[in-house]
Amino acid sequence: MSLHRLLALVCLASGPALLSCADIAAPSRSNAYEWRRIVGTTIQSFHWPQSRLPVRIWAEDAVNLPAHVRHGIAEWEAAFLYGEFRGVMVSDSSVADVIVTSGIAPPGSFSITRLESLMAPECQGATDVELDATGKVILPPIRVYVDPRFDPSLPGVDECMALTTTHELGHALGIFAHSPNVDDLMYSDPVVTTLSPRDRATAELAYHTEPTLTVAPR
Amino acid sequence: MRAILPFMVLTIAGGPPALQAQVDYNARLGLTWATALLRDDVIGGIEVRQKLAPTLVLGAALPIAPRYRAGLELAVATSGYQSKQAGAPTVDLGTVRTGSVTLGLDGPVAQGLRWRAGVGLLLYWPTEDRGIFLRGRTTRFLAGAGIDYQRPIMAQWDMIASLRYDFHRFTTEELRARGFSQSQGVQRVAASIGLARGHR
Repeated sequence: MSLHRLLALVCLASGPALLSCADIAAPSRSNAYEWRRIVGTTIQSFHWPQSRLPVRIWAEDAVNLPAHVRHGIAEWEAAFLYGEFRGVMVSDSSVADVIVTSGIAPPGSFSITRLESLMAPECQGATDVELDATGKVILPPIRVYVDPRFDPSLPGVDECMALTTTHELGHALGIFAHSPNVDDLMYSDPVVTTLSPRDRATAELAYHTEPTLTVAPR
Repeated sequence: MRAILPFMVLTIAGGPPALQAQVDYNARLGLTWATALLRDDVIGGIEVRQKLAPTLVLGAALPIAPRYRAGLELAVATSGYQSKQAGAPTVDLGTVRTGSVTLGLDGPVAQGLRWRAGVGLLLYWPTEDRGIFLRGRTTRFLAGAGIDYQRPIMAQWDMIASLRYDFHRFTTEELRARGFSQSQGVQRVAASIGLARGHR
């Protein structure tokens, strides 16, 4: 092989290799809010482990809840880039990890952590997370309640139910606190219908942080 | 590229017999290995990488000078892709197909051995729009080089073995929407073997 031919080959091979040094620059995610529940000196944080995915979710066939839950699952799945969360609807509530029903949450016992949400006039929601005696293990199912305060056919009620369901599913995923920002779906009294970049960043951080709570088998 | 591809195909397939007689064709099967598609940092480092991808390559080349040829190469590969974070299990993210079209030049190196260099387009086509591909497929520019070794095994058929290296910069619509800036340099190496048919 002649020298000039060899040089041509070396140039062809090394040019692209030199260009390949730079990496993509990831966003900072510094806009995330506190997602953990802090009670005194105790921090409660949780995310569904990969071994429990897809999370099985059952929805009562009332007030359009199955459609709202499907929408909520899709919203939260889309929040993640690396398959951290997947949900699936199941028809048998006895195998569900999360149960979504309509109505007002019943009075809770001492073991239940109630994450109440929403003071919107049209609807309200709550999520109950029951812990075992050690306070370290979640006993599934996590129960989500979404309640239309008025006739669901009235204007604004179905929209409120949709965003409240997605909000409550956020709690069931492990976002145990509310955002302080009104533009976030996880704000305590949300008005937006989709997840904000802050909601997504928070969910990502929650799923890449070692949780303090685990979940018992169903 | 959309205009060039049909032009080349029509030129070769519908051209005069003299032109067709000079065209070398080859079909190869092989494997493609790639560096990480993406590196991110969420608490810890995360890497998204394609698995080793079975690859089908079809190529055609026309003489343009006594020792040089211009060629078109189509490569299709399919594989799973996965994310990996230190201390966490590897997560399968689905399947992505890649299809590339490269226009290139090749010339002799030694007996039976030829170099090749080309540029083209590379399409990432996920089977599901999710995660980094939430907003669908992405197309990237590609540059690459390689060598082919060709040896006669029958009257008109040669065995061909190829080694390819190529480079592109990867990003997706979803990553840009999420605030990822710049793009990830991805290098791929493909080895393949097959049959070539051409004039002698």
